[in-house]
Amino acid sequence: MRTRTSRGLRLFVLAAAVVALAAGCGSSSGSSSGGSGGGGGNSDATIIMGTTDTAIHFDPANAYDLHSWNIIYNVYDELMTIPPGGNKPVPSLATSCGWDDPKTYTCHLRSGVKFQNGDPLTSKDVEFSFQRSIVINGDQGACYLFSSLATCGKWKGNEISTPDPQTVTFHLTQPDATWPFILATGAAAIVPSSVYPATKLQPDDQPIGTGPYKLVKYQPGVQTVLERNDAYWGTPAKNARVLIQYYKDTPSLKLAIQGGDVDIAFRNLTPTDISSLRGQSGLQVVEGQGIEIRYLVFNVKLPPSDQLAVRRSIAYLIDRQSIAHNVYNDTVQPLYSMVPAGLFGHIDSYKTEYGATPNPDLAKKELTDAGINTPVPITIWWTPTHYGGGSADEYTEIKRELEGSGLFKVTLKSEEWDQYAVDRGKDIFPAFQLGWFPDYPDADDYSAYFYPNGGFWNGHYDNPQIDKAIDQEKASTDPSVREAAFAKIQTLAAKDAPTIPIWQGKQIAVVRDGVSGVQETFDPAYIFRFWLISKT
Amino acid sequence: MAKPTTSLRTYALTRLALVLPMLWILLTLVFFMMRVAPGDPVTAALGGRLPEQELQQRRHAAGYDKPLIVQYVDYLGNVARLNFGTTITDDRPVTDVIIENGSATLELTFWAMVVALSVGIGLGLLAGRLRDSGADVSIRMFGIVVYAMPAFFLGFLAQLLFGERLGWLPTSGRASPEVQFLLPTHTHLYLIDAIIYGDWATFKDVVLHLILPAATLGLIIAGVLIRLVRVNVLQTMKGDYIEAARARGIDEKSVVYRHAFKNALVPVVTVLGLQVALLMSGAVLTETTFNWPGIGFELVRYLNNRDYIAVQGIITFFALIVIFISLLIDFVNAWIDPRVRY
Repeated sequence: MRTRTSRGLRLFVLAAAVVALAAGCGSSSGSSSGGSGGGGGNSDATIIMGTTDTAIHFDPANAYDLHSWNIIYNVYDELMTIPPGGNKPVPSLATSCGWDDPKTYTCHLRSGVKFQNGDPLTSKDVEFSFQRSIVINGDQGACYLFSSLATCGKWKGNEISTPDPQTVTFHLTQPDATWPFILATGAAAIVPSSVYPATKLQPDDQPIGTGPYKLVKYQPGVQTVLERNDAYWGTPAKNARVLIQYYKDTPSLKLAIQGGDVDIAFRNLTPTDISSLRGQSGLQVVEGQGIEIRYLVFNVKLPPSDQLAVRRSIAYLIDRQSIAHNVYNDTVQPLYSMVPAGLFGHIDSYKTEYGATPNPDLAKKELTDAGINTPVPITIWWTPTHYGGGSADEYTEIKRELEGSGLFKVTLKSEEWDQYAVDRGKDIFPAFQLGWFPDYPDADDYSAYFYPNGGFWNGHYDNPQIDKAIDQEKASTDPSVREAAFAKIQTLAAKDAPTIPIWQGKQIAVVRDGVSGVQETFDPAYIFRFWLISKT
Repeated sequence: MAKPTTSLRTYALTRLALVLPMLWILLTLVFFMMRVAPGDPVTAALGGRLPEQELQQRRHAAGYDKPLIVQYVDYLGNVARLNFGTTITDDRPVTDVIIENGSATLELTFWAMVVALSVGIGLGLLAGRLRDSGADVSIRMFGIVVYAMPAFFLGFLAQLLFGERLGWLPTSGRASPEVQFLLPTHTHLYLIDAIIYGDWATFKDVVLHLILPAATLGLIIAGVLIRLVRVNVLQTMKGDYIEAARARGIDEKSVVYRHAFKNALVPVVTVLGLQVALLMSGAVLTETTFNWPGIGFELVRYLNNRDYIAVQGIITFFALIVIFISLLIDFVNAWIDPRVRY
């Protein structure tokens, strides 16, 4: 027994010595914490990106989040794509696409394109890709984007025709001018019919596309690794490999970019983190156009939001510039329309209607003219984490601005997202915070989901003129008709104020010196094009 | 006449039989707590994008609106068949999550235990030996502070000091991104995999990544051990056999190191088993702080996504470990001490 105990103690001592030895190693080599070998010229470089985003699925039939779509954009191709810096779709796997009539859209495929398993791309693969997405109708997918083509879960067989291996014709159930945009989304990525199951999802670590990268490793919550597809039909990627490292929280991500563990930190450093990293040696903060928005929604059935004067008065009082500067350190920009700046058809309708800065006198006049006693009590709901850590400060600032006018008595209430997302549809929030991330960079994505039938958020606002304008913009491929329709939608919405746009986000990444190409990929399409990134 | 005590075998069988109701209560609690909590995987993922009707359709299609009792019976049936199911959010078999992420937790907790034992026993013995001295007071204070400090706070301070300020140690993950990619995983235990791989630079990288998380978690456990070992040393030093040893003229060093310390450690072994639960809960916080992709890290991720199946599976696994260790400790106790019987 004595011997055993002594041996045990010796083991402890030995273990402690190993730990101490390792600590010693750390102190001697810690300064070289860069970690990434990369090495070689540009085309052999390995790019390491850190993010706090999480991947959900890499099968286009069940993905509908930014990060999963970004992997999909890099591994697969779609018939159409949004080119860097652009905001309109152009052919990608197609050589040309066009309208035969308002409900028929035909694409001619690029010849010689092969999937990463060597199978040639044909029109049957395109038909198969749409059919399986609609049949599978994944609970985390974006099947409903194809509602002009078919009802999710129901495939009749006449939705798509393939007269020859290089031609695909979509037979829509209604005119839809946004169809080319929808063909450019991650939901419309083309998969090989010879490999993917028709009614089941493909495992996330075995995606096969025609894109510029092949996925070679996926460890959920840890790492995704992409390697250049040397048989890619288009311009080859400027780097050989991309490692995407997942971080649980922003402090870890910040330490990783500072320590050189990653070359790029993209999503979701806080405004404070970005401010503190700005100007640090070896790092650059890269900013680009973003069209993610935050806004306040009114439930027009519930008092006091049911009164137009109350909504308009609040619209007069909100100081967007103060929120953008004081709460978000100018990492966001004031938003004066539900359609963000940078999109075709955007107008600053709220600025025209209510001015760029708060106007307490006109706010008071709205209430006085309507015979409403002040201060008006109102409860505003918000959610603490889902829309970023700045939400608490943002809504405290809004309360301060509204109460500062003496016209409102604001009660702020919050719920975590899981409960909030359920309650927002139950007619218990008179006013509440929401945000929107684009499916595709078109003003339709900021109108058609917001206004008809009270909006997806169940706010009960209904304006037949807006509904009619949405029908017009959807049905027409004439830019001037669509522009006029969008202007009308935004103007009418600003007058009735069923929502108040507050800010639109910028795309921001922190990159280490020697990394380039990030700026080129920041545009309203929100496609992170790894193939443009290079490292010296 | 004294009632005869039951045999060790009867005790063991009774104790074993009690495992089942214990497990059933725990599984039931986990199941209903997850269902009582607001939200579901569909709402968590798409609540900000889809109309309520569409959300309801998707909940219905996925079976989240089935009667609770039906879901409960299905769940118990699957657990009975050791089928933990497939995660809802990313379609991973829960057994894969347990193997891949559990290995990361095993690696972390093993080395944390090494740190805990080295520091806890070492300092506890020292404090007991030097009772009421300045060193004793300092060690006791240290023990209280590290035990009282939350893992995430201690970890964050360590990250700031050793990672950001001094730049000595990496602050997140099990290895550098490229090492993680290149290292072939045979056992999912990176230290062992690195040894099999035979690349010492990789081994060093893995060791460096292990230091801060293992030290953080280990120190918290060490806080308990320091006080426990100290008290036991003080008690054994008062024992008759220590007096007898001194009376026989054995030198003080031998009395302390060969007789007192050895016996002081016996109760510690029993308590160590109970620390497993503390180690598991500490691992959740430590893994989150250090971006350590262990099973606790995944548990938090799946909780955020309201992935019932994953959370139930992981917690069931945690429960099985704690129950197994408790059982083992009880058996050892009963074996050592004949008074421990039903």
